Amino acid sequence: MTSRGYLILAAWLVALAALAFCVQRTLVVSSDLRSFMPPAQTPDQRLLLDQIGEGPASRLLLLEIGASADPARNVALSRGLARVLEGDPHFVRVLDGEGDLGALDPALLPYRFLLSPTLDAAQFDRAYLHDQLEQRIEDLASPAATLLKPLLARDPTGEVLILAQRWTPAHVPRLCGGVWCDPDGNALLLVETRAAAFDPTQQAVAIAALREAYAQLDGADVATLSVSGPGYFSVLAATHTKAEAEWLSGLGTAGFALLLLIAYRSVALLLLAALPIASGALAGIAVTALVFGPIHGITLAFGFTLLGVAQEYPIRLFSHRRAGASASASLLGVWPLLRLAIVSACIAYVAFFASAVAGLQQLATFTIAGLLVAGATTRWLLPAVLPVKFRDVANAAWLERFRVWLDRLPRLRWLPWTLLALALVLLAAAPTPLWQNDLSALTPVPPALLKREGELRSALGAPDVRYLLVLEAQSADGVLALSEKVSALAATWVAEGKVDDVELPSRYLPSLATQRARQARLPDRAALSSALAQAQADTEFAPDLFGPFLDDVETARTLPPLTPAAFSSSPLGARLSAMLSERDGHWLGLATLSGVHDADAIAKIARTTSGAARLLDLKAASESLVASYRARIGAALVVALLLLSLAVALAFRDAARAWHVIAPMSLATLLALALLRIGGVSLSLFHLVALTLAAGLGLHYALFFERRVDDPAESRRTLHATIVCVISAVLVFGLLATSSVPVLRAIGATVALGVGFHFCLSIIMARRSQQR
Amino acid sequence: MWLAAAPSSAAPPEAVAADAAALIAQLRLPAPADTDYAEIRFVHVLRKPLQLRGQLHYGGAGVLGKRVDAPYRETTSIANGEAEVQREGKQPRRFSLERAPELEALLGSFSALLGGDAAALDRQFAIRLDRRTNGWQLMLTPRAAALASHLRDLVVDGNGHEVRCVSLHESDGDASVMRLAELAAAPLAEPTLASAEALCRGDAHESR
Repeated sequence: MTSRGYLILAAWLVALAALAFCVQRTLVVSSDLRSFMPPAQTPDQRLLLDQIGEGPASRLLLLEIGASADPARNVALSRGLARVLEGDPHFVRVLDGEGDLGALDPALLPYRFLLSPTLDAAQFDRAYLHDQLEQRIEDLASPAATLLKPLLARDPTGEVLILAQRWTPAHVPRLCGGVWCDPDGNALLLVETRAAAFDPTQQAVAIAALREAYAQLDGADVATLSVSGPGYFSVLAATHTKAEAEWLSGLGTAGFALLLLIAYRSVALLLLAALPIASGALAGIAVTALVFGPIHGITLAFGFTLLGVAQEYPIRLFSHRRAGASASASLLGVWPLLRLAIVSACIAYVAFFASAVAGLQQLATFTIAGLLVAGATTRWLLPAVLPVKFRDVANAAWLERFRVWLDRLPRLRWLPWTLLALALVLLAAAPTPLWQNDLSALTPVPPALLKREGELRSALGAPDVRYLLVLEAQSADGVLALSEKVSALAATWVAEGKVDDVELPSRYLPSLATQRARQARLPDRAALSSALAQAQADTEFAPDLFGPFLDDVETARTLPPLTPAAFSSSPLGARLSAMLSERDGHWLGLATLSGVHDADAIAKIARTTSGAARLLDLKAASESLVASYRARIGAALVVALLLLSLAVALAFRDAARAWHVIAPMSLATLLALALLRIGGVSLSLFHLVALTLAAGLGLHYALFFERRVDDPAESRRTLHATIVCVISAVLVFGLLATSSVPVLRAIGATVALGVGFHFCLSIIMARRSQQR
Repeated sequence: MWLAAAPSSAAPPEAVAADAAALIAQLRLPAPADTDYAEIRFVHVLRKPLQLRGQLHYGGAGVLGKRVDAPYRETTSIANGEAEVQREGKQPRRFSLERAPELEALLGSFSALLGGDAAALDRQFAIRLDRRTNGWQLMLTPRAAALASHLRDLVVDGNGHEVRCVSLHESDGDASVMRLAELAAAPLAEPTLASAEALCRGDAHESR
């Protein structure tokens, strides 16, 4: 290298370091899945996007403290953990079974006549009160007398008990020593995280805080804390995927380095080869961050994959160096082709901008910027810093033998057509659905953990994460009124075993109209006193005992009806507030369901309420969202392919030549697809991205094989470069294909398979024989 | 006759515990067992005490039943930590005893007593045994503050292997005396706490 070369290298490295520093300082990686989803089109999809972020059911972590020989120890640990977590900002609420869920705030006691359904059917007249008083006497003689005595004088009609029964969830876990537990004596808790379930980064932080809090407890080592729930699973999947990706790409990088060493016999080249792609990646991040602000984690993951094409640029440069010419001059021979490949790929990615999905636009920005910078640095910087000494790869004897062998291959003109027909047959015969809409299938949770989660969920009576009953009205009170209508239906569902429990907002607060109707049935003080006196006459109750009852009824007669806002200061009211939300002038009520056994029957409610109440299947909504997302990507890819073909045709100004490049690329993509499909693979976004990468690489092979060269040595150099590229791609992505994580396997297998087909078909369809 | 009991009450606590434990072990009933009862309940909000008659059922550990035959009909059954109250012409009411820990402790002690499980009783109560010429009395005082805030003590009177009465003294002054087996049929001169307790101790028989 010349001294000028060293200067350039130093400046380049300093620039990269500076860029890396800036990027690292300002980069905000968002892991909120919503920014990578298409804008919601149906109300259900919009609700789904909110639910992914805020859905309380999916933000619940289910905890179990057990495996200690002493159940009392589990109880103490559960209490201790709940106490610590209550002050922890990572968690919204902690439930361990302590505290009475059904208790009415003492300050709201006079409201009990408006909240309890008693007055819907009954009147506080002599006959009703007499019957109630007789029942209270029986209560006093029962084993439960001690519990009932304290409120007797104030509540002889038993409204507090009625409300407690109404508000206590239908299925609650058993209690051991005052906290929830399972039959084996393991303590159970529910915690709601502030972070969204599908934000693995924040979930991991919350779970780490949880484990840290547990480890600080006295005697924590005697028992074990196990965590379950959607948030935990997203962390588990992310960690597992990351660990395997790192291990496999580490192995792939080592293999790639070894390959470069064998191909070029130079450690310096090995290190220099990394510079263009590093420059491209950093530039991609910087530009994307500049345009969009926070970068999505998926943009980075997919972007780095797509940027893999740039790995080829330095290899082309290294293989084409020839004696008697500078590195820069040697490159000039292939530069027009390389430039065409880079520019046409960039044009193709413009199609992603049309998708209207922020994440895809980010991906396009990242990839285009990355490819341009990697190409430019390969062209204008890398040649200047290469070592002066090099080995001309054209001198290798095996390369010439291989070239001759390729030349002698018969030109099987019928083969592409046969392959096309075969691919179509295979595609038609594929045994599985074309698309995999369930994204979670790509990062599966071990079945044993899923099973345990289901058991814990039902033991804790925690709501179903898949279904929600959505109630829509003009106002919060309208939602409550609708909820009252639905509650009668819900009771029949529970009775018929279609669902275990439906937690409707009106369970906690009746509508204003219902409260006013009950209020209107409360007698005035004189009438109530006289009715009570008559009712009490033949009982042994002390004459003035029920003064507090008379006072409460009198108070209740003039109370303003309880609104969700006024109720929200109490624990039950807070729960109600969480179920109600305002959106675009409309009010939504979300009722959670537990133990859904017959979703179809429940879904019929949409018909009887003309859509005001409907069952939302979050899984179906998310799948429809993924499907519409994928349709956009699919369309973007088709447009990309057309743009690419157009760019190549325009550059060649020769339809036949363009055909020789585009045809093998398209057929190879189709073949890779067909082979995946006949192997039982349902396609996902990741497959589409992988096919795009493979097509980008295939474009290079076809372009370079199609290149017209008269110099046999130059032809050998092109062949050498292509072989190094193919082997490296198959190596790196073939390793990924061995992963146990389906998403890595999808990308790896698809790219490796695609590259193989692209290479073979380019030889058959694009390659020109050496003119002799 | 009270003097006869004096040496045992002055004995060291372990000896009392051993004596009481031996007695409680002897009380063990083979399940299932049913016995008639007559209960008199003194409640401060009522001007007159409540008097109930019916049958008690013991179905083994944790399974208890109380049937009221007069003055109204009601059946309370307790099993698997859940109580069910069935009144004539009404929907049965169920509640979990876990929601009522004091009640659970009380019923647990009944179950322990009928099962002859002295160790279980000892966990919940301080036990004092007084032996007399015509019987014995177990005085159980709650150890836990939560139970003590409702229940002052629980007194069991008996003779030989037989329990004659179970009396509850609640912290608010209310009390209940339940006469069992043949004593259930014995006539009560006047419905006062003193006369009911005298009958339980066998004093009424002595005085005759």
